Amino acid sequence: MKRINHCNVYCSRIILHKPLLRLSLSLLLILIIFYNASAVNLINNIPNDKENTSVSSQNQQAESQQQKISGKVTDKSGTSLPGVSVLVKGTTNGTITDANGNYTLSNINGKATLQFSFVGMKTQEIAVTGQSNINVALEDESIGIEEVVAVGYGVQKKVTATGAIVNTTGETLRKSPTTNVSNTLVGKLAGVIAVNKSGEPGYDGATLLIRGANTLGNNAPLVVVDGIANRDLGVAPGDIESITVLKDASAAIYGAQAANGVILVTTKRGKTGKPSITVNLNNGYSQPTVVPEMTNSFEYATISNELYKYAGKQPIFSADDLQKFQDGSDPWGHPNTNFFKEAIKDWSSVTNQNISLSGGNESVKYFLSLGTRFQDGMYKNSASNFRQNDFRTNIDAKVNKDLDISFDVSGREEDRNSPAMGAYGIIGGLYTLKPTLRAYWPDGTAASGLTPSVGSGNPVVNVTDQRGYYKGVNYVLQSNLRLNIKIPWIKGLSIQGNASLDKGFSSGKSFNKPVYLYTWNGQPDHITTGAISGSNVISLSQSYGNSSKVTWNVVANYLRTIAEKHNIKLMIGTERQKGNGNSMSASRSNFISDQIDQLFAGANDQYKDNSGSGSQYARLNYFGRANYDFKQKYLFEFVSRYDGSYKFASGKQFGFFPGVSAGWRISEEQFWKDNIHLFDNVKLRGSIGRTGNDAISDYQYLNSFSFYNNSYVFGGQEAMVMQELRIPNPNVTWEVADQANGGVEMQLLKNKLSVSFDYFHNKRSQILWQRNASVPAMTGLTLPPENIGKVENKGYEFVISYNDQSKALKYNVSLNGSYSANKILFWDEAHGAPDYQQSTGYPMGAGMYYQAMGIYKDQAAVDASPHISGARPGDIIFQDYNNDGKINDLDKVRDKRSNIPKFIGGLNINLEYKRFDLAVLFQGAAGGVTYLQQESGTWANFLKEDYDGRWTEQNPDAQKPRAFNWNIDYFTNRANTYSLKSNDYLRIKNLELGYNMPDKINKVLGVNRLRIYVNGTNLLTFSKIKRTDPEMNASRAFDYFIQRVFNTGLVVTF
Amino acid sequence: MSSCTKDKEFLDTKPLNEYSSADMWKSPGLVEAFINGIYVDVFGFPYNFLGVGLANFSGDESWFNEGESVDQFNKCMITQEWIPGLTGYNANQTDRLTWGRLYAAVRKTDLIFDNVKNIQFTDDNLRKVKIGEAYYLRGALYHYLTAMYGGVPLVKSAFVLSDEFNVPRNSYSECVDFIVGQLDSAALYLPATQTGVNLGRVTKGTAMALKSRVLLYAASDLHTAMSTYAQAFAKPELIGYVNANKTALWQKAKDAAKAVIDLGQYSLYKPSPASGDNISQNFIDYFLSRTATSEDIYVQYITPKSGIFRWVDQDPYTYLYPNGYHGWGGIMPFAEMADDYEMKDGSRFDWSNPLHKVSPYTNRDARFSATILHEGSPFAPRPADVKSIDPWNKIQTGSVDYTDSSGNRKNLLGADAGLVDDWSGGVYTGYFLRKFFDPNNDYTKQKENVPYRHFRYAEILLNYAEACIELGQDAEARTYINLIRKRAGQPDISESGTALKARYRHERRIELAFENQRFYDIRRWVAGPSAYHPVHKVVIKYSTTQNITNYNKADGSYWSAPVYSTDLLDNWAWDNKAYFLPIMRDEMNKNTKLVQNPGY
Repeated sequence: MKRINHCNVYCSRIILHKPLLRLSLSLLLILIIFYNASAVNLINNIPNDKENTSVSSQNQQAESQQQKISGKVTDKSGTSLPGVSVLVKGTTNGTITDANGNYTLSNINGKATLQFSFVGMKTQEIAVTGQSNINVALEDESIGIEEVVAVGYGVQKKVTATGAIVNTTGETLRKSPTTNVSNTLVGKLAGVIAVNKSGEPGYDGATLLIRGANTLGNNAPLVVVDGIANRDLGVAPGDIESITVLKDASAAIYGAQAANGVILVTTKRGKTGKPSITVNLNNGYSQPTVVPEMTNSFEYATISNELYKYAGKQPIFSADDLQKFQDGSDPWGHPNTNFFKEAIKDWSSVTNQNISLSGGNESVKYFLSLGTRFQDGMYKNSASNFRQNDFRTNIDAKVNKDLDISFDVSGREEDRNSPAMGAYGIIGGLYTLKPTLRAYWPDGTAASGLTPSVGSGNPVVNVTDQRGYYKGVNYVLQSNLRLNIKIPWIKGLSIQGNASLDKGFSSGKSFNKPVYLYTWNGQPDHITTGAISGSNVISLSQSYGNSSKVTWNVVANYLRTIAEKHNIKLMIGTERQKGNGNSMSASRSNFISDQIDQLFAGANDQYKDNSGSGSQYARLNYFGRANYDFKQKYLFEFVSRYDGSYKFASGKQFGFFPGVSAGWRISEEQFWKDNIHLFDNVKLRGSIGRTGNDAISDYQYLNSFSFYNNSYVFGGQEAMVMQELRIPNPNVTWEVADQANGGVEMQLLKNKLSVSFDYFHNKRSQILWQRNASVPAMTGLTLPPENIGKVENKGYEFVISYNDQSKALKYNVSLNGSYSANKILFWDEAHGAPDYQQSTGYPMGAGMYYQAMGIYKDQAAVDASPHISGARPGDIIFQDYNNDGKINDLDKVRDKRSNIPKFIGGLNINLEYKRFDLAVLFQGAAGGVTYLQQESGTWANFLKEDYDGRWTEQNPDAQKPRAFNWNIDYFTNRANTYSLKSNDYLRIKNLELGYNMPDKINKVLGVNRLRIYVNGTNLLTFSKIKRTDPEMNASRAFDYFIQRVFNTGLVVTF
Repeated sequence: MSSCTKDKEFLDTKPLNEYSSADMWKSPGLVEAFINGIYVDVFGFPYNFLGVGLANFSGDESWFNEGESVDQFNKCMITQEWIPGLTGYNANQTDRLTWGRLYAAVRKTDLIFDNVKNIQFTDDNLRKVKIGEAYYLRGALYHYLTAMYGGVPLVKSAFVLSDEFNVPRNSYSECVDFIVGQLDSAALYLPATQTGVNLGRVTKGTAMALKSRVLLYAASDLHTAMSTYAQAFAKPELIGYVNANKTALWQKAKDAAKAVIDLGQYSLYKPSPASGDNISQNFIDYFLSRTATSEDIYVQYITPKSGIFRWVDQDPYTYLYPNGYHGWGGIMPFAEMADDYEMKDGSRFDWSNPLHKVSPYTNRDARFSATILHEGSPFAPRPADVKSIDPWNKIQTGSVDYTDSSGNRKNLLGADAGLVDDWSGGVYTGYFLRKFFDPNNDYTKQKENVPYRHFRYAEILLNYAEACIELGQDAEARTYINLIRKRAGQPDISESGTALKARYRHERRIELAFENQRFYDIRRWVAGPSAYHPVHKVVIKYSTTQNITNYNKADGSYWSAPVYSTDLLDNWAWDNKAYFLPIMRDEMNKNTKLVQNPGY
């Protein structure tokens, strides 16, 4: 047993700890792809020639007085662009540029106009006017006058949009080598705040807040992917064309789900052109951004002795012990263990591979992609990792001139693996285990007998699969069929219908088995004895769940320009969404052998168990949007939704949510044009509206009862146990969000500088809150939340960006910032609390703390002031805030800060020099606090920062308190400002340096474009908090560490 | 219109995992499941079996080694904001004895009475039993409340949201009357025994036994002599009887105990041991009996799966077993507790007696070794990885001083003193708990399933004897105390008056040790200072000049004669406010009619 285990450990170490091996494997893979891809390219070239011929023969039949035109299409840097569609405007005649960007067209009318279009580039039109050689340099499709943004059930020109809307492109997001899209948005989109609690593979998604926290309830924004609401951000980053965020009343089109903002994700679609294959390979390594520094065994023994002394006891470690801890002369009896080093490896692998095929003609366009991503756990011999495999097929077909059909199918498999013990138990163990214990005995066996303060067993074993494993597999399949019909007899009217079916399948498998650990009995022969540590029961539990969601909508669009001045755009629609879910679980234990991890192999005894449950939901709504503008100068928009939600009692299900906005492009006014030349575009805009938030628990209007996971034994059997779930609230309704926004957007210095500023004022009312603070516990009531809370949230956002080019250097610098400050206007505040403890008027989540006034220098200092009984020198001095001569609850004071930063900002710098490009994102946050705690004491290790400079009898003027027992000494079990630290930070969030291969090399390799790059995330951080990552915002930080990633990658286009 | 109807239907979904209140209050099966939930609230998971047991809060029973502020409770550092250790972090079980949890359960019983008319019982007998159970459970909940807080608001009907929540405390006597009324009703409705699928439900005897406990508490000094500990308290009627008729109160207590005795249904387990019987083993057998014996009035059965936190998560093996079993030793008897066990001849144990000091664990009351594990106690087989240290399966709480090969003096700890799992610091008091644990159970394969005995006949006999003493009926009292002593193999007592009272209280401490009784007894006897004082451990040392590698010699014998001493563990201290728990400031703020208990 022992030897087998050992070999496993050893072998896996070889594989996982040889980055060179990994790198060479990757290189091999790349070479194979190059080889294959070149072959594909060759094959592709053959039909291309045929296509060209057929186009020319068509032309021969059609026209007579014609000429031949040829040329080369490049991008602005001169790199040739293959696959660019070159069309004669108003016809279907055309061709596609070859591998070198060259094209030839025969028999072209001298008066014709050529259209050059390519994915990601601005379409250019050039009149032939007798030329026979037309070379074109296409421009990147960047923020410009023609840019459109998604706005919910449609798109809008950015220039005439009147809402507070921000967007970014998939290409920008790709520069951050993280596997979860939610971690790529912060610092790039003004107004988006991310809170990231964990870096655990598969569980590292950030919680997103649009314009900060607005409610005491659920603050999650609505996510809409390709027009279907209530999807998630699990989209493969490489498939994303753009992400748009609706921050203000423009979100009212999503009614009762819109109050927290709406995130609209649009995936890539095919564009006219020859098939283009893009391969993106990434190979990276991650490590924790911060590994806390703990005391070593000598330091710990020293501080322990102080604790025993303060408790009036003899020191637990003798001078001889201390000496041995310090000089390391007795590794068996007096070890010095750094558990973080023992359990966490230096680098863990992160990879991401994606291949996509895109192209099409006038009739059919397609975008197909396949991808796989992998993140390894940070532990040595890790049993935890995450893999996602995904595919997407987006197809657009033009059946005839009035009918378009799109059919999208995408799917992904998420595979989450972790050891039998969760991250909290493992990390908690690493934090608390004393350095005077050992992870491994000097003979290499894993030691038993460690502290089970949090978690149990030995963490170096707990991180492996020796105790068993958890495997969660999640499949998501999403589909959408869209029809768009132009109504031929009414000009400008079209009707679009969507039918979407999303399915989810999930399974979980949790296998637990006994673990072998080794004991040394203290004898000088140093023989360790292995035995099962803890339970020797082998058990397995499995669960299966499925869910489905059906969405249907019909939308009518009407577009009309009257007298070339009045632009009218109307949209009305209706949508239904219905979903359900089912789950089943089963378990058995007392397996005879751990070799088969299937249920049948478990004992068919009283410990086997099974269960199941179900859920359903439905939403129905009617919505519309009306836009009017006069010469694109005076802009007006009205959106509304009549929204019905299953969450509420019959008769109270529907609500009306309107939003109105207006804009004035003052730069279009003649007086402005005549007098002010600095500005290219200036738009003033404002919006007000009302949206709702129905993200509350279901069925609050029903008095209901349910079984719960508990039992009492009657007749030798466990009897089922039922409880009252809630006192009903028949009047329950959605939260109401009143939103006002004012903004200005401008472009100046020939569009080089653009500035936008938004101010918002949100007021959320009817927040569901329990009246717990005013209803006595004596009533025994499990109170229903009632629509009583009111919260105000005010703030601003700005974006300033500057683009320019000087000789070969192109640069873009963009600074954005978001500030939001909320305060509670009304909730269930307890009667009788003094003013300085009331939370009304303070930010949500602001805590109450005793005011730390320093450290008691000596007994005289303790005696000189009111103190908590039992206070002694070295303790933290609490202020007698109300001057009543006693230190008690009434001396706690409400702080003005919560753990969510008030300000979040990002500085994006993009440089291009010849073939090199560099993108850096500096990102920072300010205005939040974290209450730091550390479980330390006679049973658990201390942070080095609590050890260094602490109060001792020899150091009475210390700024830090004496050695403490966590949760026992008054200054650790009563929240006080000593441990309240600002979580402000500034970090290099992302950095990418890329190089585009010159054409010569591309030609040799047989590719159209090859870009290689290195990038990274969370590369460097500045913060006052040293013990954890400041973004984790963790009080007793037993969460999986947030990761820093270094990545190398390449993109090849064939 | 038709589309409107369709729309309405489209949105009208129903919860798939919940029962509506209409369904709930019709179905006798669902109501029974609801009542089952109140059993969990009332009896819960046996408090003693978890790391933090009520014995750890009694001052002089046992030590809790995991901190959790239990020490601060025992120093009476209790405030309106914080009841150290008893609420909050990790106090999984004791938490249930607090205000909010108990009142949440009271609401459940109220709901049953409010809805009982609608329940479509098909069997009138079933209806009666369920009503009886509800009466018992409501009485028990109010008993816990009054024992902890004195008189409390009597909520007899479930609140609705629109009710007035400012409700004053009822007087102590009103609460006792109400509880007794509930229990009398329960006794009327409940059957004498519960069998088959109902085994484990309360009976007529359970209700009568609780009534005996309630009236015993009510007659005690805490509720009749408030001026001795709460002189300045303006509302003494909240915590006791003003101008109490003590004789009448004790008579009621006596009658209630006698009523249980007169049922003739219960008797002591093996009441008359023959000479040569292993009396300790009788005790052990009784507490480990998987079925109810004649002594059991109410037993909570355990399957290896059952309980609030289930054995799977919180088993006695992990939480309470000694260090050398990889246990945490959550309940460690104090030296004072161990010393209180008499000698076999009925004399007091005394460290200053040289004979006692040489061999303190021999010739003791048979209940000693059945209740407490000490140095040398034979116990369960050691886990595989400790077998090489202790192949003899005897508790090792001492240490050996010896000289190592290079001539240094060294010290080798016993397996249970911290050699095996040094994080726990091993043994704090020198003792571990023995009562309730089956050493023959292999915990690595099978979790504990020993039932927990909430009411046993021995308590009733003691309750009866106490009332007799207080009524001056010493002879009658001695008869009943001696029933207990006879079963324990201890000689009869013959004291009377104050000496008898002291002897009785000692007997109760020994017989009911670690059964959640002492905490209340100390309080109702107004005897705080006699329990909450500096507490001690025993220190056991062997010494040898040899270079040794194991705690014992190869044949299992010891390296030398042990040397025993005692040492201070911590300074418990008493404050009169601790006779009652405080009502939390938060609750006081919400219900302005509440009056705080004295001293807070």
